[in-house]
Amino acid sequence: MALSAQSVNVRFGGVRAVTDVSLRLDQGEILGLVGPNGAGKTTLVNVLSGFQRPAEGDVQIDGQSVRAQPPHWFPANGVVRTFQSVRLFMGLTVSENIEAALTVAGYSRRSARAKAGDLLDYLGLAERRDTIASALNYSDERRVGIARALALNPRFLLMDEPAAGMNAAEVDELGVLIHAIRKDFGCGVLVIEHNMRLISDLCERLHVIVQGATLAVGAPEDIWGLPEFRSAYLGATS
Amino acid sequence: MDLLAKSSPNRIGDRRKRLIPLVSLIVIVVLVGLAASQGAIVMQRRVILALIYLVAVVGLYIFVGNSGVLSFASSAFMAIGAYTTAIVTMAPNMKSTFLPDLPAFLAIQHMPPLAGIMLGGFMAALIAAVIGAPLMRLSGISAGIATLSLMVIVYIVFGNWDSVTGGQRSLMGLVGYVKLPQATLFAIGAIVIAFIYQESRGALMLRASREDPVAAAASGIRITRHRWIAFVLSAFVTGIAGALFAHLQGTVRIESFYLSLTFLLLAMLIVGGSQSLAGAVMGALALSLLGEILRQLERGVPILQFDLKIPGGLGDIVMALCLLLILMFRPLGLAGGRELTFSRNRTSGDNG
Repeated sequence: MALSAQSVNVRFGGVRAVTDVSLRLDQGEILGLVGPNGAGKTTLVNVLSGFQRPAEGDVQIDGQSVRAQPPHWFPANGVVRTFQSVRLFMGLTVSENIEAALTVAGYSRRSARAKAGDLLDYLGLAERRDTIASALNYSDERRVGIARALALNPRFLLMDEPAAGMNAAEVDELGVLIHAIRKDFGCGVLVIEHNMRLISDLCERLHVIVQGATLAVGAPEDIWGLPEFRSAYLGATS
Repeated sequence: MDLLAKSSPNRIGDRRKRLIPLVSLIVIVVLVGLAASQGAIVMQRRVILALIYLVAVVGLYIFVGNSGVLSFASSAFMAIGAYTTAIVTMAPNMKSTFLPDLPAFLAIQHMPPLAGIMLGGFMAALIAAVIGAPLMRLSGISAGIATLSLMVIVYIVFGNWDSVTGGQRSLMGLVGYVKLPQATLFAIGAIVIAFIYQESRGALMLRASREDPVAAAASGIRITRHRWIAFVLSAFVTGIAGALFAHLQGTVRIESFYLSLTFLLLAMLIVGGSQSLAGAVMGALALSLLGEILRQLERGVPILQFDLKIPGGLGDIVMALCLLLILMFRPLGLAGGRELTFSRNRTSGDNG
């Protein structure tokens, strides 16, 4: 059971955003996708979730090509993504945000309301149930984004910078949450993240891309030692 | 997974609470109908017209309110409903006078008004179903312009299709079927249809796409499909409003179904608040009332020894001013995007 990108190329006009990247996310693993700003990480998530069709290369779920499918097909087939900017349904209540996703997954309105309550309990958001999403604070907004993704019962969860803008305590809580999600939902989780402490706490494997191309794939401790990684990511020269 | 397998407590109370917005709107409409029944015939006629506008605005709300996509097509669907019922309910001898070239299978029809009204709704829905398929891929300004074009096309086609619509001439002799009880019942019917729809799964998904189409697609929502469903249902209700209009006036002429009607209906929806059913109902009633007051003032109202009279045409300016004030100071409309719940079950602006 795996979601994979194979020899993917993406170009925006004359700019090569992603060059010949192959990436594999297994069910049950937490994979870190790291690289400097502008390396093509979000573009790669867009490719894996159907928002960006690659110029060349393929996207596969369990060996089946899915590159021609529209974005709304992916959640129904187990691939769910979150956004760096969260993108909640701002005018709806917290509960309705989750319910909208649950109804896509086939729940009736009534059962969706009950299940949304359970999911909000899981994320510690029960008291925010009837709050309009636009009135949430930043950290709660991110949690609701995660709850909405979990409502789709993902096999593969792609998280685009889930810790952006969080303080240290919130990042720790997020780490615990992502571990719990992997355990409770049994899904593969891909995390784009710049917070190296969170990455090394979470990930068994890292995939490093720099300037749109794969630099290295391996265990975090192996990656940290690579001089190319240090120079590309940290700008260190020695 | 069993995290997702608990059931909700207090289900019956919850359900009853969810019906409050519907019941309150029905009560309002019934009260309006009852109050009008005590008034003079002329006043009753104005209230019937207001209730027909209410049906049309609720129809418009079903699409615009839930999808967030603007539509100018209301008067087109009303025209389709009005002409459909005219063609199938007019007495054959009237048709041979007004529409001598009408195809034979239409010329022999002599349906009762209720059947004609329903058929009017179905015809509007059918046309919306066909045209909506490509149209619903558009959003924002392009969708608005496309629906505006639809309105213009229907206006031009109906205004020139002499054999079927009589072209620029009026069709006369329709049964004056729509009295106060019928108008009230149809208004209630429209509200019930809109409420049932807005409580559906599809409408929730559509409202999610209204808030953020990208996140909606990422949640697996098929935006085009749900927009199409709302568009067709909206056309059905709006088409019925057009047919009711025809059976109130007793005549049908294409000039009634053009820009001024579309803008009146849109203004009603915007003033009331496009994001809730309560807004659609309140907007239709409020602007009808305001329009009536201004109309009376233009004709002159005796107050004590004075005769209060405003210059002709000022009514339209005041109407436009109201729309502007609402857009500036209460962009979500009178209802503020909420339903009538009589309780604070939503907390907003609460960050603690």
